[in-house]
Amino acid sequence: MIREKLKEPLIRIVRLYTLQVTLISVLLIILGKLLDSSRVFSYEAFFSPLLYALIGTLATLITHTDKEISMKGLIIRKVVTLLLVEAAIIFIAVRSDTIPTEQKWVIPGIAIGIIVVFLLSNIIMYFSDKKEARKLSADIVRYQREYLKGKQ
Amino acid sequence: MKLEVRKVPESEPEMVEIRYHWITDEVQELISFVKSRQGQLTASRDGQRFEIPVMDLFYAESVDDQVFLYTAHDSFEIRMKLYELEELLRNRHFLRASKSMLVNLMKITSIRPALNGRFTAILKNGEEVIISRKYVPGLKQILKGGDSE
Repeated sequence: MIREKLKEPLIRIVRLYTLQVTLISVLLIILGKLLDSSRVFSYEAFFSPLLYALIGTLATLITHTDKEISMKGLIIRKVVTLLLVEAAIIFIAVRSDTIPTEQKWVIPGIAIGIIVVFLLSNIIMYFSDKKEARKLSADIVRYQREYLKGKQ
Repeated sequence: MKLEVRKVPESEPEMVEIRYHWITDEVQELISFVKSRQGQLTASRDGQRFEIPVMDLFYAESVDDQVFLYTAHDSFEIRMKLYELEELLRNRHFLRASKSMLVNLMKITSIRPALNGRFTAILKNGEEVIISRKYVPGLKQILKGGDSE
């Protein structure tokens, strides 16, 4: 049972991470094409979505709580998570030699891109939860029906 | 208190007899325990005692060290800790839904996602209770036909 209890959050973290890797890769393609299309990268560039997604996932873990929080508390935590991700990724971008942060639109582009990825990953995770809830609802109805059938 | 356990032939009915001088807390606890095993819980409301069939319970909630039982339209206070109640209601379709709540699976109509990975269970009387993500594996286990522990 403990293994089951650990499996659930772990699956959720891995799901969030892979989702963010995908979304960040798409974001990098779009931002790169729009803002710096002539630049050529080495193979190391493939690491960047993995690293940025790791930052995004870690920030979620930092602000995660097992306590039952109110809607206001939840929104505050989400905003703090987003600010942490923004701060960490912009810091990396400024320190990096490969990202042309000296160009006027690069940092705002990254900041907006992070918000888009953050919102999209939350929306997709919500729909994934919705699918899980639908299955749980169907299983509960089946459970109730089986019990009532057994009583007759 | 003297305890006597006696084997009886199958022709005689099984029974629990409680002999008392005064109804003390200890005696009341024993009565409540036996009744709960028979599918009834003793709870109170406005100083009056009520026998509540377990199957009528929608959920139980712990608030400030007090445990309340909720039926379709009423609420009662029960002198028991939530974990004791959880133990008592094991195998009676009850699930630990959050740190402070037990919910009757037979009273759930549907489940929908709440934000932050939690779920909301919609009950047959229209009330909603939160199911923490932490307790979802337990729910899945019960629905698969196993015990939640």
